[in-house]
Amino acid sequence: MSVDLPEVIADRRHLHGLQATMLSDQQLTVTDKFGLRNQGFHSAPGSEEAEALPVPATLLIDKSGKVVWIDLSADYQRRSDPSVVLAAMEAHFDIAGD
Amino acid sequence: MASLKTGTKIGLIAALLAAATARYWFYLASEVALPTDRTLFVAVFLFAAALGVFALVKRTSWLGAIPPIFAIVIGVFLPLTVSVSTQIVERDSVIEVGDAIPQFKSIDGQGQAFDSASLNGHLVLIKFFRAHW
Repeated sequence: MSVDLPEVIADRRHLHGLQATMLSDQQLTVTDKFGLRNQGFHSAPGSEEAEALPVPATLLIDKSGKVVWIDLSADYQRRSDPSVVLAAMEAHFDIAGD
Repeated sequence: MASLKTGTKIGLIAALLAAATARYWFYLASEVALPTDRTLFVAVFLFAAALGVFALVKRTSWLGAIPPIFAIVIGVFLPLTVSVSTQIVERDSVIEVGDAIPQFKSIDGQGQAFDSASLNGHLVLIKFFRAHW
């Protein structure tokens, strides 16, 4: 989920070889539903002119649709380390981290 | 090197210091390993910027002014990004553990509609990130 336009997502997805479903949320509609709009100073991407940005966040959702784990970055230069997310997935999803 | 003006030499050192520190910074950022306390980084960047200013004061050659200016720009800009990197959510509205996720619709990279109802019954990881850059 990012403020990128669908075309940009398609482009970058290819570039990074990403497998996940990448969703565009340029108007921050979904970001606001989750309450994740950054209220602090933000540097919007110059060319795409998003009015604001989400706080980097990772959420784990169980089969009933409930949040079982959330990691908010209090600082955009530090995001969830993959190892932290993998450990949370093992703990909350009861699966091996592979 | 012997024929270079003192300012030019100092400017080159400042630029090398700024470039090497920035290179290490972006390496750590790409590894999601930037330290929470970046005081040392800020100190080194500001030192490189100060060294750049000192080089200009000492006088450089025409072309020799480029490295210290580079050092000043890098040395000031990255500490600035540290100072504005704090993220603030509205405590009242932010989603929390135990909350059901809101239903939402969106579009994916192929322009296809996406409905969060399709996530029902699945284990899901949702990641919000700022943008591709």
